[in-house]
Amino acid sequence: MKIQIKKSTILIGLLLIVGFILPRFAGEYYIHISVLVLFYAYMAVSWNILGGYAGQHSLGHALFMGIGAYTSTYLFTVIGLTPWIGMWLGGAFAGVIGGFVGYLCFRYGVKGPYFALVTIALAEAAVYIVTNIPSIGGAQGLEVAWTGNAPQLMQFDGKSGYYYMILVMTIIAVWLSSWLIKRRFGYQLLSIRENEDAAEALGVNTLRLKIQATVISAVMTALGGTFFAQYFTYINPRAVFGEGPSVQILLFAIIGGIGTVWGPVVGALVLIPIAELSRGWLGGTFAGAQILLYGTVLVLTMLFMPNGILGLYHKFLGKFQNRQSDGGKSEAL
Amino acid sequence: MVFSFELFGQAVVTGILIGGIFALISVGLSLIWGVMRIINFAHGEFLMIAMYIAYFLVAKGGWDPYLTILITAPALFLIGIIIFQVTIRPIIKDPPINQIMLTVGLSLILQNLALVFLKADVLTANTAYTRMNFYLGGVVVRGSQLIAFVGSALAAFILYWILQKTDIGRAIRAASQNRDAATLVGINVRSTYLLAFGLGSASLGVAASLMIPFYYTSPTVGLFFGLIAYVVVVLGGLGNFIGTLVAGLIIGLTESIGASLLPGSLARVLTFGIFIFVLLLRPQGIFGGKQK
Amino acid sequence: MSLLEVSNLRRDFGGLTAVHDLTFSVEPGEIVGLIGPNGAGKTTTFAMLSGFITPTSGEILFKGTSINKLKPHQVCLLGLTRTFQIVQPFPDMTVLENVMIGAYTHHPNTVDAKKKAMEVLERINLAHKAEEQGKILTLPELKRLEIGKALATEPSLLLLDEVAAGLKDVEMEEILELVRQLNREGITFLIVEHLMKVIMNLSHRVIVLDFGQMIGQGTPAEISKNPAVLAAYLGKED
Ligand SMILES: Nc1ncnc2c1ncn2[C@@H]1O[C@H](COP(=O)(O)OP(=O)(O)O)[C@@H](O)[C@H]1O
Ligand SMILES: [Mg+2]
Repeated sequence: MKIQIKKSTILIGLLLIVGFILPRFAGEYYIHISVLVLFYAYMAVSWNILGGYAGQHSLGHALFMGIGAYTSTYLFTVIGLTPWIGMWLGGAFAGVIGGFVGYLCFRYGVKGPYFALVTIALAEAAVYIVTNIPSIGGAQGLEVAWTGNAPQLMQFDGKSGYYYMILVMTIIAVWLSSWLIKRRFGYQLLSIRENEDAAEALGVNTLRLKIQATVISAVMTALGGTFFAQYFTYINPRAVFGEGPSVQILLFAIIGGIGTVWGPVVGALVLIPIAELSRGWLGGTFAGAQILLYGTVLVLTMLFMPNGILGLYHKFLGKFQNRQSDGGKSEAL
Repeated sequence: MVFSFELFGQAVVTGILIGGIFALISVGLSLIWGVMRIINFAHGEFLMIAMYIAYFLVAKGGWDPYLTILITAPALFLIGIIIFQVTIRPIIKDPPINQIMLTVGLSLILQNLALVFLKADVLTANTAYTRMNFYLGGVVVRGSQLIAFVGSALAAFILYWILQKTDIGRAIRAASQNRDAATLVGINVRSTYLLAFGLGSASLGVAASLMIPFYYTSPTVGLFFGLIAYVVVVLGGLGNFIGTLVAGLIIGLTESIGASLLPGSLARVLTFGIFIFVLLLRPQGIFGGKQK
Repeated sequence: MSLLEVSNLRRDFGGLTAVHDLTFSVEPGEIVGLIGPNGAGKTTTFAMLSGFITPTSGEILFKGTSINKLKPHQVCLLGLTRTFQIVQPFPDMTVLENVMIGAYTHHPNTVDAKKKAMEVLERINLAHKAEEQGKILTLPELKRLEIGKALATEPSLLLLDEVAAGLKDVEMEEILELVRQLNREGITFLIVEHLMKVIMNLSHRVIVLDFGQMIGQGTPAEISKNPAVLAAYLGKED
């Protein structure tokens, strides 16, 4: 554990240094890819607090992304409220909804795949609800009007502004995630994931903790939703509440290593550049080729490295250490 | 919106007929889910593949849509057992999140393979049955939907008969009730899983052929039917065959009556509302089923 | 005042009454054995005492407070903790972290919790495994870890469900010695055990259940002579 703390600090430091000097050297296209990497890393880290630490696998996290995106964008387009404020209102809204959903599900003992199903249903219901409200754009969605380079309205000329913004968000998210996991709150979440009855018997208020994890995760995801809307300047119900974003939010955490601090970041860092570059090579001809790649990687990951990239890494590391310290003492298994 | 008796009657008739198809699609999912406790999140995509097969046989091969069952059902059985053998069997003892993500991955692959190779076009087969309508007072009964309803009932009955009366069926039911006990009495659990997966998939082949005269196909068509199947299975009670059939009708009616009462596509919200309500308050379904 | 007072406790599962009209009490400092044939309702009683299931009727007073409607974590906070018949470790956490979860109950700060957990690991003779993962432990180690996790919550009443089952004599003796030692330090025990040897050896007082009812209680010596008990329980022993 001690090593982990130091490693986190070093890695965050490295990310900071590399991150902040990158736009000086990279072209717009590579900055765009970096924005995507950071954005999905951020979302996966947010999902991971509920899905990875607490072990409650939400398959409808786009619900919160959509709430964030729609709240800030609606307030911006209708009353001209800056997304810097709208973002927090969206976060608060998502937090309230998350708390309500969490309370309902966990109060009634919804678990495992059934929790996944409830969250899918909620996100899908949101798609249809938003589609049928014309005043917030209906099926057409909402466009974020371009007002020129206006940092006070979260709009930047060129991509570096967005890049720095999501870099800071990701660093804060990773820091928060690594901070949470080494305190009581984090350990208790893990204990719920590992064995809920045992945790409850040892004084862990599992209901309250699961709701808290849902709220934190929902708020973070919603903040990401605002960034998404500002960066892509256009949102519609399927694009932010649909099953597509729901899967993409958790995909990188699963592939990188679920329940670990760095897994979600590693997953996005490895997979997105490959997907984006191969899309560049294939040209726009193959709609769906990128998701096809994600699906294939997901299936292969589950079959051949069920604990993700970091799991595999630790396995090799673990074997190596075992051999060093106690010969072949694996008969305990 | 003006509400009339005719409109309501129409919604009820359409709802029941569509509900029959929902039931058949869901029975396959219920079988797989109930027996091996894995939710196949690619269930809708299996249906999508079957619909493409049926569509091409009808539109390009000039087949009678109902004859395509001879191809779609065995083809889906085969696809089902191959996919099971290659991807699902190896993770049958893995944590649920891995199983979920694996089948989610499968659904992404199938959906986007279709998108890459078949394009996003919405395809509609024009068959002799497509415009065959009957009139009951002011209510239109679409012949193709009526045939689909009867066909679904028949297929569901055959599946039920297989499960209740054949050795294979008994083995599958035993394995679903108690895996260890089944192993003890000499049932090969692994091959029953394989069969259950094959049968559950084959039922989608039948459903696809029955639907093709009146329903379009596209790479994303499975999304909707997949979701409907989860709703129906949960509502009917996991592994409860009759419950699933009744739940199919309830959801069919909810969708069509809802659509006639509510503006736009809000009826879908009603369906998900029922789903969430059941998951929270009666996870064993309204007719009882296996405890979760 | 008794530490634990159970009166007219009853629990139905559908048509089946697993526990009915159970009344007994546990005094501070005691080791009380709860025995009875399979299906007598011992585990159900434990589940009610620890808040995992709510009684159909009856009353449970712990330190004078009614705990009928409390959740397990609330009961634990009051000083009543249970172990499970089937060991329940946190498999992907280290042994130290396993125990820390218990220690956090009264030590919210991680440094303190770790210190408390280390002390407990010394007591249960698992300190050398502190950094190993829960899932690689052997059964005797898991049984000790089960006690360790509970111990870390600093209980005044500890419920042990079949804590010696499946152990060899030497391993069992180690656990029994630990229980005696902890009892001398002031922890009260209510233990369910299938093995008569363990019960007779350890308990100050024994309560016998059959079909969800108490059919006798007394010292181990008295119990082994009670004809009703012999008929109901010892006769069925294999
Ligand atoms: N959750 C439950 N649902 C239905 N019956 C139960 C449940 N738990 C226990 N029982 C029944 O209650 C009776 C007492 O069981 P239990 O308390 O486990 O006995 P013991 O631990 O003494 O062997 C048994 O007949 C058992 O089948
Ligand atoms: Mg028992």
